[in-house]
Amino acid sequence: MRKRAIAILLTAFCAVALPPHVHAKGLWDSIDVRIRMGYSIGGTVPLDMPTSIRSLDAFRPTPSPMAGADATVWVSPRLGFAAGLHIENKGMDAEVTVKSYRMEMRQGGSQMAGLFTGHVKQEVTQWMVTLPVQAIASLGKVLTLKAGPYFSFLISKGFSGIAFDGYLRQGNPTGPKITIGDEEGEWATYDFRDSMRSLQWGIAAGVDWCFSRHLGLSVDLGWGLSGVFQSDFETVEQTLYPIYGTLGLLYRF
Amino acid sequence: MKNCFWTCVAACAAMLTAGCIKEEPKNNECDIVSAWVEGEEYAEFFFQPSQMRVENVPSNSNDIVFTVRTGSVLPPMAVWFELTPGATIEPASGSPQDFSQGAVEYTVRSEDGEWSRTYRVSFREAQSPSYTFSFEHVDSALNEGNNSYYNVFYEFDADGTRRDIWASGNPGVALINPAWHTWQFPTHSVDDGYQGRGVCLTTQSAGALGAMMGKPIAAGNLFIGAFNISAVLFDPLRATEFGTPIDREPVKVSGWYKYQPGAVFTDAQMNEVPGRTDVASIYAVFFRNEDAEGNSVVLDGENVWTSDLIVSKARVDTLPPTDHWTRFEMVFEGNNADPATLASLGYSMTLVFSSSKGGDLFEGAIGSSLHVDEVKVEYKEH
Repeated sequence: MRKRAIAILLTAFCAVALPPHVHAKGLWDSIDVRIRMGYSIGGTVPLDMPTSIRSLDAFRPTPSPMAGADATVWVSPRLGFAAGLHIENKGMDAEVTVKSYRMEMRQGGSQMAGLFTGHVKQEVTQWMVTLPVQAIASLGKVLTLKAGPYFSFLISKGFSGIAFDGYLRQGNPTGPKITIGDEEGEWATYDFRDSMRSLQWGIAAGVDWCFSRHLGLSVDLGWGLSGVFQSDFETVEQTLYPIYGTLGLLYRF
Repeated sequence: MKNCFWTCVAACAAMLTAGCIKEEPKNNECDIVSAWVEGEEYAEFFFQPSQMRVENVPSNSNDIVFTVRTGSVLPPMAVWFELTPGATIEPASGSPQDFSQGAVEYTVRSEDGEWSRTYRVSFREAQSPSYTFSFEHVDSALNEGNNSYYNVFYEFDADGTRRDIWASGNPGVALINPAWHTWQFPTHSVDDGYQGRGVCLTTQSAGALGAMMGKPIAAGNLFIGAFNISAVLFDPLRATEFGTPIDREPVKVSGWYKYQPGAVFTDAQMNEVPGRTDVASIYAVFFRNEDAEGNSVVLDGENVWTSDLIVSKARVDTLPPTDHWTRFEMVFEGNNADPATLASLGYSMTLVFSSSKGGDLFEGAIGSSLHVDEVKVEYKEH
């Protein structure tokens, strides 16, 4: 029922924006609605790995589901445009070994910042509503290629972690050296969620493979072009971009 | 099957990332980790072999002091250093230098060449500090990491050399509080002492960050010894390193205090403990400062009251709350010192003041306030 409602809503939206000849042909002939569910995996990462990151010790995919619908308007037998609405998470759970890695803890009025050498466990959660706008190319009845920009509004954010088993030099490499242990109370925690951007954008491309009349599989790659943090946030020196691939199941009306 | 898939994905991600891992940057630290003098020709200047080494130089100290026998006429001394890996030192480690005119400055440069620290290394004759502590000598120390200033109390030797025998938890509090002034710290100087200036110790909230790290309060404390900043988060009881070598045997400590406990007593989880009232703590410990293996020893929060090396100790039993300067006195109880060991500086003494007795375990009442002034230590006539 709900899927139907979304389809109708998207159809109505497209109807307004459609070129005149499409109207002439009739809506249902030229609009292709696809409902999708998928699972994303990827990272929120710097494009240029800083030298302070010495090794990636663990990487776990966190639950990153995606659900949504797209509507394609065909302007020719092979070409079309699509718009959609997805709800998705772009999460990550990683553990790295760092050397002289800049970090900051801030809680209430108290704050401690410096260079950390040791291990960092990082958790990222980014629940968002994404609006993709894509150009569509059909390669026969089975395969469709998609590419275009997307815009995301974050509804729930998380960027936190712990620094453990190492030491912090406060301020700079000559500052007081604080040993950081590997048990709760001995380690340092941080949470940068308040410094995350609420709007992200990037480009996405993918393929839909319809193996039956209604069902299909999809593979998509979303490449963030905006950093996940506000531009005045300097604690994490490198700009981090969300880069996620999504495997999905689709239903075509 | 599913697990296998994720393992493959994770492995691919790991390989991709591993491919991006850059060459390791050169070290940017430039510390002296330890310093020592070696060789028979130098041993005669020291009371004990353990005094020929200064181990675990605190990361926030730029002074390295060797204690030598009184009346020593020092030839050029070769001091050896252990540095942060890759760092270099000028003058060179092991090069003979003339210390007879006072401290010699050494500059340590990091492996990457970007950072340097200057240390003052000196050889000082064994001297005990004055035996009356009036707390008139106060300095402001800067925590360079975040521009906070806190008070440091010090004394003078008989020959007028400054001795930083007093330590407090202030450096730990400074870590998490940017741009604080001296009077905001749990341990600070006050103008209205019993005579002249005095010490004010106040139990404070350690803020949201302190609470997050399981250390919700910071008691005001002042003690003879050193504060090892490195352990403050990892092992706070080890951060307080008690004692400095002394050439006399203490028998009694007296002084003046004022005390008011804070309103609400809380435990280490910051839960209120109804019916419990905070109490202050004043005690002193006299102990052997070298263990059976010949290593020099300081006591810490774990063993200051229980170590086998303790010779005698003293504690003020009760410190009733009072708004007026009130006299306290405590007598050392235990064994007698060995005169020969005493003469070779084989004993140390600490004197400890805290606004909350359970402050080392993060128990106490925020607002508890202990003032101390004009403390006198009396010694046995040998």
